[in-house]
Amino acid sequence: MSAHAASSNSHDHSHDHDDHHHNPGFLKKYFFSTDHKTIGLQYGITALLFLAFGFYLMMVMRWSIAYPHQPLPDWMGCFLTDNWKARWLVDGKVSGETYNMFGAMHGTIMVFLGIVPLGFGAFGNYVTPLQIGAVDMAFPKLNMMSYWIYLAGGLLMCASFFMESGAAKSGWTNYSPLAGFADGQIVNQWLAGQTQWLIGLVLLITSSLLGAVNFITTIINFRARGMTWMRLPFFVWAMLVTGFLLLLAFPPLEAAGIMQLMDRVAHSSFFMPTGLFTKSEGLADLSGGGSPLLFQHLFWFLGHPEVYVLLLPAIACVAEIIPVNTRKPLWGYKSMVYSVLILGFLSFIVWAHHMYMTGMGDAVSTFFQTTTVLISVPSVVIITALLISLWGGSIRFTPPMMWACAFIPMFGIGGLTGLPLAFNLVGLHLHDTYYVIGHFHYVVAPGILFGLFAGVHHWYPKITGRYTSRFLNHLHFWPSLICMNVLFFPMLVQGMAGFHRRWYNGGDAYLAKAADSANVFGVIVRDYIDLNIVMSYGAWILAVAQIPFIINVLFAWKKGRKVENDNPWDATTLEWATPTPPGHGNFTFDVAVYRGPYEYSRPDCDEDYFPQWQAPNKTGEESNEKETH
Amino acid sequence: MEIPYIVNARKDTGLFNAKIAIWLFLASEVMLFGGFFSAYVFMRLGADYPWPERTLPVLPGLINTFVLIGSSVTVVFAWAALKLRNWRQFQIYMWITVICALIFMVLKGVEYNVKFHHQAVRLKDYTVLEGHLAYIDGTKIEKNRIKLELNPGSTITYNNLRVHDAWVEEILAEAKAAGATLKLAAEVKGAEGFSDADTIYFAKDADLTVELLDKFEKAHIKARNHNQKIRTQALRDAWKVAEKQNPNKSNWEYSDKVSIDQEAIKSKLLTDIPAATFVADKSFQISFKPRDVKEGPEQSKLRDDTVINAKLLPSPMDFHYLDAIDFQYLVMKAEKKGIKPEVAIENSWLLKNDPFAREAWAWHQANVDELKKRLIKDYGLDEKGNPNREPTHKELYRIGWKEFAKYGEETHKIKLSVTDKLKEEFMGPNYKARNPDEKESNSHDSHEEVAHGDSHDRVTFPHLSVPREQIGFASKFTPSWNTYYAIYFTITGLHGLHVVGGAIVLAYYLFFGRRMYEENPEWLCNRVEVGGLFWHFVDLIWIFVFPILYLM
Amino acid sequence: MANSVEEIQKSKKTYLLVFGALLIGTIVTVLVATVEALDIGEHGFDKWDAILGMLIATTKATLVGLIFMHLNHEKKAIYWIFISALVLCASMFAILFLAKYSPIFDSYFYL
Repeated sequence: MSAHAASSNSHDHSHDHDDHHHNPGFLKKYFFSTDHKTIGLQYGITALLFLAFGFYLMMVMRWSIAYPHQPLPDWMGCFLTDNWKARWLVDGKVSGETYNMFGAMHGTIMVFLGIVPLGFGAFGNYVTPLQIGAVDMAFPKLNMMSYWIYLAGGLLMCASFFMESGAAKSGWTNYSPLAGFADGQIVNQWLAGQTQWLIGLVLLITSSLLGAVNFITTIINFRARGMTWMRLPFFVWAMLVTGFLLLLAFPPLEAAGIMQLMDRVAHSSFFMPTGLFTKSEGLADLSGGGSPLLFQHLFWFLGHPEVYVLLLPAIACVAEIIPVNTRKPLWGYKSMVYSVLILGFLSFIVWAHHMYMTGMGDAVSTFFQTTTVLISVPSVVIITALLISLWGGSIRFTPPMMWACAFIPMFGIGGLTGLPLAFNLVGLHLHDTYYVIGHFHYVVAPGILFGLFAGVHHWYPKITGRYTSRFLNHLHFWPSLICMNVLFFPMLVQGMAGFHRRWYNGGDAYLAKAADSANVFGVIVRDYIDLNIVMSYGAWILAVAQIPFIINVLFAWKKGRKVENDNPWDATTLEWATPTPPGHGNFTFDVAVYRGPYEYSRPDCDEDYFPQWQAPNKTGEESNEKETH
Repeated sequence: MEIPYIVNARKDTGLFNAKIAIWLFLASEVMLFGGFFSAYVFMRLGADYPWPERTLPVLPGLINTFVLIGSSVTVVFAWAALKLRNWRQFQIYMWITVICALIFMVLKGVEYNVKFHHQAVRLKDYTVLEGHLAYIDGTKIEKNRIKLELNPGSTITYNNLRVHDAWVEEILAEAKAAGATLKLAAEVKGAEGFSDADTIYFAKDADLTVELLDKFEKAHIKARNHNQKIRTQALRDAWKVAEKQNPNKSNWEYSDKVSIDQEAIKSKLLTDIPAATFVADKSFQISFKPRDVKEGPEQSKLRDDTVINAKLLPSPMDFHYLDAIDFQYLVMKAEKKGIKPEVAIENSWLLKNDPFAREAWAWHQANVDELKKRLIKDYGLDEKGNPNREPTHKELYRIGWKEFAKYGEETHKIKLSVTDKLKEEFMGPNYKARNPDEKESNSHDSHEEVAHGDSHDRVTFPHLSVPREQIGFASKFTPSWNTYYAIYFTITGLHGLHVVGGAIVLAYYLFFGRRMYEENPEWLCNRVEVGGLFWHFVDLIWIFVFPILYLM
Repeated sequence: MANSVEEIQKSKKTYLLVFGALLIGTIVTVLVATVEALDIGEHGFDKWDAILGMLIATTKATLVGLIFMHLNHEKKAIYWIFISALVLCASMFAILFLAKYSPIFDSYFYL
């Protein structure tokens, strides 16, 4: 046999059996599909359900904060069984242990089971191959496995709510030694919620790693003819960087998770210091010699890039929506691309700003302070570019545009409130206070989530062939915007007053009842504690405000106004060159890209947009058309 | 619809998909093992106990290194053979690769097994002893147990919600073996409702069984759920009243005055059964792992909240073969306090109580003196008159099994064959061969106190019985023993899993690749190349693991 | 990528040479660690032994990477991916060493 490589057209048995006759059964089509679009939708629906669950946990937490001594009202507890309530709601009240469990799981579910799968798994999977002109992801079966491993990990974590130990309860950050000990009274450690959290985490990390490999390979190797790197939509650049962040930042957390798992089931002392003494165990029967600080380093090594993994897909959506709805190119595309690359790199070396109170020493703190302040620069460049992109545009306030425009100031507040936290000295005052909670919720909730809502409305017509209802969107948007601010702004105030995180009674235990008490802190708590009630009502009304969104998404699928053509928004990027919805293989023609992704309002064009895939005018204005292969 | 670039590279990037993917995956693996290695550095720099240097036998690790490097070569030769379309050669090289992987895992398994059966204990004065635990009737019983004795009238109280069934079965088995029974101490009445028919009644003297405890649990849960509903409603009502009485006040201003009206709800509550007490009628003994029990002289509590009113028996840790004495930790603690090492060692429990240890230590001191003299002779003194080279802490303060073995060889002329000595490099000390005149006595009972020195012609690796009160921390050589073993087992275990995974992939191509070879040989080449890349990475990690964990 | 028959035959010889180098490197590492006469720095394990051990290991790893894993004639993109991971890994280590300057750091057996 010769040593020649097979020619590119010879029998390349690189497909699965659905090659010429694509008639998979129901299960294969809707459940075990290897098509990136179906998988994207699976991720999206699952993530939204997890987000709703995490939201419910938060509502119960807010009850405990606002009314710590009162039993949970029936309408909130209607989902809970009597048995569960008897175990976890003593006299109907949310106990400290229950609050901790809800708090830890709220964080975990929102971050790992909600936003990342929604942003990266759902939007990334659906849109990225379309925007680069690919037929599918590079490894469709691996893509499917990614989804199912994610679901398995998520369900395992949630199943632990029903165990004797309850779910994990040591914060979403799961610090040792508490997380190494919690649920220690359970004889079979494998049945403890804390242990299952770790196992679920390992599954989630595996799913993310597989997904990241798929994304990066696809973006590198599946770009259409003419799609050079600088012609990629910003969305794809953001997904590329997100993929690298997931790929390189998650493994140290996996290492930490495995080590903590060993601490729990093999009784090792990776993170257990010598001489640990607990009320239930006395002097711990462990070798000691370990370091709780090591867990924090490894956790935050992921933890910081993780927040950019949360952010970048949302910014990606907003960056696509703004040009379409202003009919003008994205301002500063090149700077945005370089900024997102620098942001990705810098995000790996800022992690210890989460650890200013651990006594790391001046050298280390100064280093991280410097890099943290530096990393604000690329973020500001990106947000400013988005803002300037609005200037002089012919703005259409479609539902996606409303959410995208709200994203910019909300994320702006989130980012600006983060700046003080970059400093070591300020950390002394603000670490572990409600200020931090306010900051990161501003970034994630009215920030990232608004960006993702924008994405839902923007691509809904491509997925279903119908527009979402504008009226229902207004019902969703305005109350959400107001309630988000009502809920999170007072947190910044309370935080600066000194309210700690994770107080299950909202500060009730610390308050000084007498107005002239000598307990200064108690008096301050007393002055701001009533904000808790305002915030909790904000949260509960916010819940009601999401109902129009659920109705919108469900009804518009069958009853929404139909789109006029395959490109209802008159956009320029490749996903709008597909049929609606795109079929298996995505494109019905041989895709070639002739220009950049945001060619709007060109003076030499009749239309106010010039799609990437449209062949050049005969006048030969495209003198720098690049051939790739 | 065809996925492109599976077999052929894309022109501008020059890569096919799987190659990008595997390098991305390897990058993530670099970060994974990097996380573990940085944990190693962190643990070592921050260790507050003497870090075990060169504590693992080098020979198995060295052989594994050669085996893995060899397999790395053969896998690349296998790929080359495939590229040259030589199926036979590919098969041969792949076979060798997979067999190398098997050898690696077998050696690793042997290493792990030896470690898992080897016991270590740190005494309260920080002396560390290592060896193998007691035998019973010639069988090795590697158990370290806290022993309790129940007598007639001793009680066991179970927490009905949390009771661990396996322990109930164990206690029942021990009782049965001694002809004892456990019976319900007093009648138990629970209520599932308010009428007489709903009362659950368990008579006094019912036998303890897992099923009985399950019945208690069910009844308790029913009552608990009902009671919680009543109490919740009562608290809600109390709040409603309080809110009316305190208009315009924040709820925290009067929250401490709101409480459940206990009298009003008393009649509505059902009797629940949180615990059940059983009494023994004859004496028998039970034992538990130290981790599972908080023992006290008259009362002990298990991890599942079972309270056992029983006498705590002496539960020493019996070393059938002691094979290492390590004073490094004791010396470290002493130096921190400003006490001289020699003084601290002389005052240790071990040297004060065990004549064999005293002998061995004296012999060891003589060796150390000789070593010091030789170092001065070979390396000289510096300007200040201090020796250029001094013995390490390990050489000064630790008697390892090899030194004990030399002690036996020198004082009792024990000689081992070359093969036996080689086996010891893998399996640890050969106790039997080093005590050739010892008769294996059948009366050896872990309850018997074996006098030291009177060890049935034991010439090395003595007996030692360590009283429970002297024990600070005990563990086999598992991840729980110290952070070094924790990181060692974690890194090598994870690496071993990668070896297994890689070997499975390569074996798959070996056994099932023929068809792919016939249909699309270049595709198989790509897959073998990608699998080979993973295999090389596994070898790469081992290249670092070996010196770091075995030699440093 | 070695594609033709002659290139692959030539690279086979290189593989064997590298194999030999790896074996020698391993033996050297073990000898330096176990034979007292070859112990650099102080008696017993000290930082010079660690540095030497790591140097030898890194050389072996580089040989495996360049030659067995074909990095010496691989595309730039692959280099970028792998080297970036190594750089990040190194930075993770480097920053941990900064822990030595922390006020609460206290090591009895200094590396």
